[in-house]
Amino acid sequence: MVGPTASLSTLNRADGSASYKCPATGYDVLGAVNGPIELPARRDALKPEDATVEVFVKPGNTTAGVGERYVEGILRSVLGKVILGRERGFPRRGVVITLAIVGGDAVERGDSYLTILPALLHTSLLALLSAAVPLSMTFSATLLGVTKSGEIMPDLSAADAKTAVSRHVLAFSSKNHLLLNESEGRFDFNTWEQVRERALSICQELTMPGSDGDVAMGDESDGSKVDGFVRETVEDRLRRDYTWKIDS
Amino acid sequence: MNDRRRVNGPPGGTRPPVYASLLETGTGAGDRSQRQRQPAELRKICMHDDNLSAPAYQTNLWHFRTSVLKTGLIPSASGSSYLEFEPSASLTAARANPKSLIPPSSALKLACTVHGPKPLPRSAAFSPNLVLTTHVKYAPFAARKRKGHVRDSSERDLGVHLETALRGAIIAERWPKSGLDITITILEAEDDRWWGDAPDSHDASWGMMNVLAGCISAASAAIADAHIDCLDLVAGGVAALVSNDSTNSSSSAPRLMLDADPAEHRSIVSACVVAYMPARDEITELWLKGDSSKASLAAGDQRTGHEALIDGAVDAARGAYTVLAEAVRESLQRAFDQS
Amino acid sequence: MVSAATVAPAAPQSLSLPPPQFARLQPHAYLLAHLSPPVASNQPSARANGRAPSQFRVTSANSGSLTHTNGSGMVRLGDTTAVCGVRAELLHTEDIPSWSVSQSSNANKRRRLADSIKLSGQSGDHEETEAEVEEDRAHIEDLNLLVPNLSLSTGCAPGFLPGAPPAALTQALSHKILSLLHSTRLVRAEDLRVWYQPPNLGPEELERHNDEEHMDVDADEAESKPAEIKAFWVLYIDIMIISLAGNPFDAAWMSVLTALRDTKLPKAWWDVDNETILCSDSIAESRKLSLRGLPIPSSFGVFEADAAAGWRAVVIPDGEKLKAEEKKGTVQKWILADPDGYEEGLSQERACIIVDKEQNGKTVIVSMEKHGGWTVDTEDLRQLVDISARRWDEMKQIMDQC
Repeated sequence: MVGPTASLSTLNRADGSASYKCPATGYDVLGAVNGPIELPARRDALKPEDATVEVFVKPGNTTAGVGERYVEGILRSVLGKVILGRERGFPRRGVVITLAIVGGDAVERGDSYLTILPALLHTSLLALLSAAVPLSMTFSATLLGVTKSGEIMPDLSAADAKTAVSRHVLAFSSKNHLLLNESEGRFDFNTWEQVRERALSICQELTMPGSDGDVAMGDESDGSKVDGFVRETVEDRLRRDYTWKIDS
Repeated sequence: MNDRRRVNGPPGGTRPPVYASLLETGTGAGDRSQRQRQPAELRKICMHDDNLSAPAYQTNLWHFRTSVLKTGLIPSASGSSYLEFEPSASLTAARANPKSLIPPSSALKLACTVHGPKPLPRSAAFSPNLVLTTHVKYAPFAARKRKGHVRDSSERDLGVHLETALRGAIIAERWPKSGLDITITILEAEDDRWWGDAPDSHDASWGMMNVLAGCISAASAAIADAHIDCLDLVAGGVAALVSNDSTNSSSSAPRLMLDADPAEHRSIVSACVVAYMPARDEITELWLKGDSSKASLAAGDQRTGHEALIDGAVDAARGAYTVLAEAVRESLQRAFDQS
Repeated sequence: MVSAATVAPAAPQSLSLPPPQFARLQPHAYLLAHLSPPVASNQPSARANGRAPSQFRVTSANSGSLTHTNGSGMVRLGDTTAVCGVRAELLHTEDIPSWSVSQSSNANKRRRLADSIKLSGQSGDHEETEAEVEEDRAHIEDLNLLVPNLSLSTGCAPGFLPGAPPAALTQALSHKILSLLHSTRLVRAEDLRVWYQPPNLGPEELERHNDEEHMDVDADEAESKPAEIKAFWVLYIDIMIISLAGNPFDAAWMSVLTALRDTKLPKAWWDVDNETILCSDSIAESRKLSLRGLPIPSSFGVFEADAAAGWRAVVIPDGEKLKAEEKKGTVQKWILADPDGYEEGLSQERACIIVDKEQNGKTVIVSMEKHGGWTVDTEDLRQLVDISARRWDEMKQIMDQC
């Protein structure tokens, strides 16, 4: 299975940016982060001791609608908890995250956004890292489906997700907390526990620095190493940015 | 038009169902409901435990057994009220023994909230008085025809009428630099005519006048519930000149009816709404529509048609006032119990 | 209002502010004092509103009180009130740009299948084929047959301006309801289809309900002239939140359920003479929607004792460590069922579990969400699912009564 591809700081004008492509679902997301910035229009709504996190999701083919508002709400609550908004310079200011869905199937009316959620989460994390916004932890997310026969499927494509009996998106922090769970379909709690185990192992692989790409953790089929992938992407960028220093 | 901030239906639009019975007979199936009340008798806003029949109880939205002008149901607002009219006899009968999907008539149901007095936004200009904002919105399912989500002109119109009615009663100088928001949501509105009638020349939005009267009374109760100083309670009342004849003979001039339900009459010739403060005998808002030149009044009555109409509306408002006063007394009692 | 009696023992005597003011100035400390009373006082841990952590507010539901709707429902969840009205309108297939003949004849085969199953009297439980499921989905989702919209601009709470465009919360809730209607497949597409059987046996065959009586005759005749879908019912589901005091989603969804359970669709047929769809106004001929299941939501908010944690750059313990500490009781958190407005302001982490029960009493999770924090994990979720299953029983009773 091909792992996801990503690059950091692709946009010049934003404080931080990242692009991310998920091979299984085909979604390509471009994210930009600006922060800390002043939000003059919302002076009354700003919290005195904390940063305000704003998330905007733009679909590729139309303007944002009700579905985007819904997924923005989920992202805001996850990222708001991860961003250290009380650090110096952040209170009473805003961190604005804009995510544009550049490629992949259009999300349909009434769709639950589960298939695209991991891509959105990863893009925003990478963009936040690129903007050097202080974070309490990194995280990684994955989408799993359960088939009629009870089999857990990783790397769901959009078509697979439609036929699956239940669909689950789980996000784990680098310290193995369950940060987010969104499940829909029909399932019982035992199934969910199995899903959680599987998701944790996938996410750990993605976070843990797999010392040179390949360390056997779990079976190979899961192998898109989410969290280690985040680290690698950042390392690559750093190496490129600091070539002048490393070389000298 | 695609509104991206709402869930949209099919892009090609939909059509309301057409009932075959209506198409076949031309005048519609079933009979027009007849007014069971005396000309001067009002519909009940207040219902009491003992004489409440079971079907009437079921139609009541909140399942209250006592009065249906109720205050303080919305705790997040500084004042609130809910008003519901007693359903007409035909509607009660239709509910008890349902046969047709087409309701014979409808009963007004509305909720009113008052937020404030609160500081005006920083951008607003200085005002030495309380700034009153009224907002009336029909729920999409309130009327026989589906309403849109955005306020239309009739809803704006109602808001303006309501504001005029209330402005005369509130002692606005006591709250400089403050705002008061009054919001009314209409869950079920009155019909403009009987559903089986074809539109004709006498058509106007008569139902809207009944709705306005209800809005005025409900808003007044909510303002009192929010403990805003007023000169008096404002009660809304409607009277109408109606003709029940199918033949348009000149011999039968339209008769005066208080609190007329348009669905119960062949045609309404003219109608009048007042917002009335009984203690001061003052009218804060008057809205008269239609031709009031012909009216059959009692022998020896020297009043002109429109005078009779206004007097009738004031009488109706006096009737609403008794219910209003009861609701406000209840609201005060609750405030005392809490403190 | 919170009665003063419950506050006095929970807070120290030095409290000189009246409880409501204390609640406003120090909301976190106020709720914490209620939830962790001093050991000496022998007070049970309760919320500021007097409820136990896993207790829901008093819920009532009633249906069918709005005249101009096909179905209506009102649900009161404590002080939160939602009114839902369902209006059905017709979408003619000729108004659907992409409607093709193949689609309708394709559907026809399946319809006959469904009819034959209906005849054998097991329509409720029969195993749907994949193609049927897909067609059901395609009709309901691609043709936009369900149109739920929620409105908060009713003056229900001070934060929502009447007349302003829908707030982000409003839009998110509308979407969540639509998404749940789709993912639970609550409404059957078959209930929304208006069929037309081109006549070949005589005028009495026009009516669809006659099909069943003449099934044997019809079965072979229909081969030549297949029945076609002439229109769909579109359900406009409008939810007005009349009063908002926390947990709008539970109230809204349950009002939708109540209204849909009450919804009656008139009998409709294609009238050849008028070239339009006509409906019968007779209640006897109308039919109710047959819904798939009864998904009941339970929302939770997590209140954490350590409010100061956010102020410092604390070292967040590892997932494993956190579990160990929880066992020792050093990390204090309360999972509050059905949070009211005050509690919602104090909890960042939210969970929402929607469960249904099969006929054999087995609990099925239809949707499980949690986000906004890291304290709730497997064990807590397991308990929450149990609570939600109990809530289902309770709500089933309330809904069956109305």
